[in-house]
Amino acid sequence: MAAIRTFVKNCQIINRNCAVLSPHVQKHGMSQYPSYYIEPVHKKEIQEDLIKSGEIQKLAHLPTKAARNDQSSSFRQDDLVNLFINYVMRNGEKVLARGLVEKAFENIKRIQLEKYHKCDDVEKKAKIELAPRVIFHQAVENCKPILALTPIKRGGVRYQVPVPITPKRSQFLSMKWLIEAAKEKDATMRFHYQLALELIDAANNKGRVVKRKQDLHKQCEANRAYAHYRWS
Amino acid sequence: MIKSFASEYIFRRAYSVLQCTRFSTASQPITESKLQSFRSEENDPLKHTLDHVGQFYRIPEEEKNIFLYGGLPKSFEIQAKTFNETCLMIRRPSVDVINCLKLIDYTKPTVRFVIFGKKGSGKSLCLAHILHYAHKARYLIVHVPWVGNWMRRCKEISSSETREGYIDLNIDAAAWLVHFKSQNEHLLNNPEFQISQDYVWSKRETTPKGSPLSELVDHGVNRLKYASECVVGLAEEIKHLSRSGHCKTLVAIDGFNAFFYPHTRVFKEKKEVVPPNKVTLTEAFLSLTKFDWNNAAIVTTVDEIAIAEQDHKSHLPRYLLRKEGFEHMDPFIPIFVDNYSPKEFTSCMDYYRERKWVRYYPQQNEELALLSVNNPYNLMHLCASL
Repeated sequence: MAAIRTFVKNCQIINRNCAVLSPHVQKHGMSQYPSYYIEPVHKKEIQEDLIKSGEIQKLAHLPTKAARNDQSSSFRQDDLVNLFINYVMRNGEKVLARGLVEKAFENIKRIQLEKYHKCDDVEKKAKIELAPRVIFHQAVENCKPILALTPIKRGGVRYQVPVPITPKRSQFLSMKWLIEAAKEKDATMRFHYQLALELIDAANNKGRVVKRKQDLHKQCEANRAYAHYRWS
Repeated sequence: MIKSFASEYIFRRAYSVLQCTRFSTASQPITESKLQSFRSEENDPLKHTLDHVGQFYRIPEEEKNIFLYGGLPKSFEIQAKTFNETCLMIRRPSVDVINCLKLIDYTKPTVRFVIFGKKGSGKSLCLAHILHYAHKARYLIVHVPWVGNWMRRCKEISSSETREGYIDLNIDAAAWLVHFKSQNEHLLNNPEFQISQDYVWSKRETTPKGSPLSELVDHGVNRLKYASECVVGLAEEIKHLSRSGHCKTLVAIDGFNAFFYPHTRVFKEKKEVVPPNKVTLTEAFLSLTKFDWNNAAIVTTVDEIAIAEQDHKSHLPRYLLRKEGFEHMDPFIPIFVDNYSPKEFTSCMDYYRERKWVRYYPQQNEELALLSVNNPYNLMHLCASL
């Protein structure tokens, strides 16, 4: 599937002659399902909410897509973690990506437990976070930028203009920066260990990724004179 | 009349209730009583019985030294470092073997135990529990941590000088002698442990008859060239000492079936495979596992992981030991190590939660039991990322 997508990306004919393709393909890309199929609801709590509110009556008789392999009703499932695993994945190697993220979580637990057992102060001990998913959510939250710079051309000159970004894009940038920071490592270091260190640092508002976000915000602040170029 | 009876009854009830509250656990938080259910207060393996099965006991720091050069699996050592303590689960197979060791008639020929089970069911840790018991009961311990390290990951080879066509594993033999010495330090100081015959290594080097056993061990450690021969000599001396009643021995070998698997990763100069019957070290331990001596017990483990992956077909002893191995070990007592029982599984999950390794969520136990098939190794892997 991934091979077909890369082939399509590289295929110049399709890139150039998009208008020639049928409106059927243009509507929903390479999906195997017709457009009126709905996404499945795989979480039990959301299903129960739908039953309570009565919304389920509308969805019950609509044709539904099959659940994906990484979706289940277990409590171990986390949509944000699944998204992160997808961003880590290269060449469709989902098993490797999932293994790396799981090892990173294990490393987070080991590092935090070591700190916990070394610490003598009861108050400090209570503040050390031991759950890897909580640290992951906190790290992603702390690395989200609010503004970003886009190049806008006015009078032959390209200016870097600060613009607001959508929450989805912000979340994507946060996770992408975390993965890039984990890749900038010594050759002897493992990716999953570096990722664990980056996540712990980001959750404590320290480290490279938070610095990158703060640098971006500083640049936006410095370029605020060009903000009106958004509307010319 | 009735009034006085009633008041006496009330007074007696109140007094007994007061007595109870002195020792009551009702005031303590629920977590503490849960702690006690999976942890055993008995840290001494000499006193472990079937009542303690399913509970964890802690190995004290001083007694952890028997595993300094091997004995605990690597993943378990990492877990012990993270949890800040070394806790083993008391399981039925090891308690059975320990009870047998207490009841055996040591004047009769040696009894052989073969521990078998599926991959990851807890055979090595079962052996570790038995070793701890042997250390406490002051046995002379002859322990091979993992035969696969010799047959499949040997450090260095050399041709044997004394035996025609045999291969010596010098560094591995010397490392084993260091391990033997560290496990039996308190016993080797005994002046009664003397060598029964002369050992002539070369024109100028001999270990004379009557010198202490530790001299033989030291010679092997210092002169790598003669390390394998030292091990063979040491095996014979230990058998002699046990027969004459100077010491009680426990021979513990993990991955024993690797001594009979022909496709080792020990290669000669021209990439020729060396079968285990042409390795000097094998001689020593095959002679130790015979039943021609007494005042000893032999506990071995047969494991699929000790052989090549393409032959991981069955976990049963007859397949793993092969024809020569089975004929060598027959008759033996087979000990089956199964996956966790529901009680052991709950105990393990309670331990992980108490050590803050896993955070609780609803229906966690049922879900993990299904996913891991109650296999201890699978459970450890699943809980790693939780």
